[in-house]
Amino acid sequence: MTTWSWIRLTAGLWLLRKAAKGTRWLLAFAVLIAAWPLTLIVLAGYLAACWRGWPAVRLRRVAVWTLTGTALWLIAQVIYHHAWRAAALTAVRAWEPGWPPRLAPLTAVRAFLLLAPATVPAGLGLAAAAWAWRKFAISAGLSGITASAPVKFDARQWRRQVRTAQGLTRAPGAVPLLARGGRIPVGGTIRTVGHRWDPVFSLPATALTRHMVIVGATGSGKTNLMIRLWAGWFTATLQAARAGRGNRPLLVVLDCKGGRDARDKADRTRRLLYGAGARRVAIWPDEARLSLWDLPAQDLAVLLYQMIDTGTGAAAYYADIMQAVLTLAVTAPGSPPDNAAAFLDRLEAKWLARAWNDGRHRREANLVHAAAGQLPDIQLRFATLLERLGPALDGPGTLADADAWYFILEGMREPSVAQAQAMALTELAAHAAAAADGEPRAILLAADDYSAVSGRVPLSNLYERGRSLGIGVQVSAQSWPGLGWDEDERYRIAATADGGIFVMHTPYPEPLTQLAGTRRVLETAHNLIGHHWGNGGTTRLQRASVADPDIIRRLDVGQACYIHHGAATFVQVARPKPSPLTLLPPPAQPTIRVPTPRDEPAAGPWPDSPPATPDLDDIFGPGTAP
Amino acid sequence: MIPNPFAVLGLPERPDLDDETVRTAWRAIAAATHPDRADGGDLARYTQASAAYAELRTPWSRSEAYADLVEQAWRTGRHDDYGLDPDGTEPLPAVPAATRLPHRAVSPLGLLLAAAWFPDRIRRGRPLRLLIRAALAAGLSLGVLALIPGQPAAPADVGLLITWFVLTGRRDLAPPPER
Repeated sequence: MTTWSWIRLTAGLWLLRKAAKGTRWLLAFAVLIAAWPLTLIVLAGYLAACWRGWPAVRLRRVAVWTLTGTALWLIAQVIYHHAWRAAALTAVRAWEPGWPPRLAPLTAVRAFLLLAPATVPAGLGLAAAAWAWRKFAISAGLSGITASAPVKFDARQWRRQVRTAQGLTRAPGAVPLLARGGRIPVGGTIRTVGHRWDPVFSLPATALTRHMVIVGATGSGKTNLMIRLWAGWFTATLQAARAGRGNRPLLVVLDCKGGRDARDKADRTRRLLYGAGARRVAIWPDEARLSLWDLPAQDLAVLLYQMIDTGTGAAAYYADIMQAVLTLAVTAPGSPPDNAAAFLDRLEAKWLARAWNDGRHRREANLVHAAAGQLPDIQLRFATLLERLGPALDGPGTLADADAWYFILEGMREPSVAQAQAMALTELAAHAAAAADGEPRAILLAADDYSAVSGRVPLSNLYERGRSLGIGVQVSAQSWPGLGWDEDERYRIAATADGGIFVMHTPYPEPLTQLAGTRRVLETAHNLIGHHWGNGGTTRLQRASVADPDIIRRLDVGQACYIHHGAATFVQVARPKPSPLTLLPPPAQPTIRVPTPRDEPAAGPWPDSPPATPDLDDIFGPGTAP
Repeated sequence: MIPNPFAVLGLPERPDLDDETVRTAWRAIAAATHPDRADGGDLARYTQASAAYAELRTPWSRSEAYADLVEQAWRTGRHDDYGLDPDGTEPLPAVPAATRLPHRAVSPLGLLLAAAWFPDRIRRGRPLRLLIRAALAAGLSLGVLALIPGQPAAPADVGLLITWFVLTGRRDLAPPPER
């Protein structure tokens, strides 16, 4: 073969290839022109999806909705032509006047309208397929002109998705407090990875009856999210109760940071809950009280013991004495103490001796005698503790008195007091859940910034108790380290959050995003020629985070990532607002009953005689010993 | 949290301010008060303005800040400041009206009552947008009926337009009452 013939052969083959490619394009172009009504719909759908940042599934769903028009059209055709065959050929007949495409606008519009019932669903379906392919090709590196195309495409789509989601949250009727099926709308969906996509992201109310974690830095919109979830859960549970499908709700919120912001938040929560139908929302300690002394005697003794710092080593000896004394004081014959003053009275040697010296409790009487030397110290410690706790736990009042309780604990100002209060309140909530005598309630215990008070009751304990009692626990923290004292506890809390994890803007989301796992993605490596891709390259299967930590670090105010079941949804949280139609006449006088403190009882009842329980000796006489 | 970030930046209290306006206001204050200035600047004012800018930086956060101000105005009875209707229902009063738990079940009467809410839902939603959508759907439907009268495709096209109107217009209605 001569050089010239080789050149001719090469050039000929090149031309042939180009001609084949050109013919393909020409054919495709001809088909697009021939089916111009369909092409227009495909183009419009594709551009709308690209511009609005929609996923392909949205176009598919719209296509399905528009099939109603197609069905109507076919029915009308059958009625019009009185024959199925004629109806089947309608599309062809309608297309004929539109071909060849004419410049006469009216004719073209008429042809378009005649075909629209068929072309709209078909076009939207094709647009969905084209858009899905485009996204796949770009993300897999199979498409795009420059090497940075996937990055730029993703960033652009994120901006558009955010804009669309924000627009949706501004619409008055898009994100109500409660949606159909008892679902709790959270906000406009920005992006989903693995979850089903819906324009408005919503959770089933049952997700809040399990355990949920919310992590977000200050100013990330965490409060709005939590209040929305509380109000949504309350509304859903109350409506279910009204329909006879469950118990009345009892929302218990522990605001563990306290301060002025907590009061504002409590006020917002209260107004939302009243809008949702709550009859009483109590704010503790400002407007309502609870009685710690309503707990069963044994539980009360354990709780009082735990509320005091006891220490280890040599101090353990005194801790044992204290525990024994508390048990003696609280479980003394008769009834347990009903207020702090009565309890402190019982921590005196004389009182305890009279209570237990009835001849039937020799062991207890001996214990009182042995611990007599320590009693003044123990009494002093508890007097100090109860004084610091204040009167708000001294009653009267029970959790059942209100539909929702908002507890404000001054965890920043007085951490040790707040810790003791948190212990008492969680114990009361647990008691309310387990009480067999009262009305059963569906309970959600929400702890905002619980790490501020989790000194003596680790959060994992709270979780475990909630799980065993069947109450939902929702915990929020400002960061991953704020979730627990050590890495083990943090992982225990996050890994057991079967209601899902909301991650908002936070600088260190990796431990949480790891829980969402990874997904398989295609990674294509191209050889680069300058700034452009060449023809060669390889594609391999890689793993990428389901919840991208870099996106979470860049989340704006009000944006959150919901991680659940190895999938993630990015959402623009909507500000919780009640429906403006929730008409409530302004009351003339506040109807909240602020319980008045009970009068301090007189000096404690000193048991000066054996208990009144009748003994056989009282009835038959002492008799004679054998 | 700053009580009124709009006032700190000297901006009108409106949720629809654009990014550039907010940024310009902040830059003007920052340039005049930055601590690196030769005259030492005004650190307190600079810090306050920066915090206010952080709160108003995005359209979302501006709407949040505005909503907070409206709520505050409501609580303090300053209805006129934001054009609030004192007889309106938002924000809600701080005490409930109902005192007992009514039992409710879904009934035809309930559905009728739900339909009766529609005028209020339109009025309290975005009536202008809804009107534009309705006008567009009606205009196009009339156009369809005029261009292809008597054709089987006409009712189908109108059906498509009605589907579009229903699917998109429901967001412009205020949500039904929760209780």
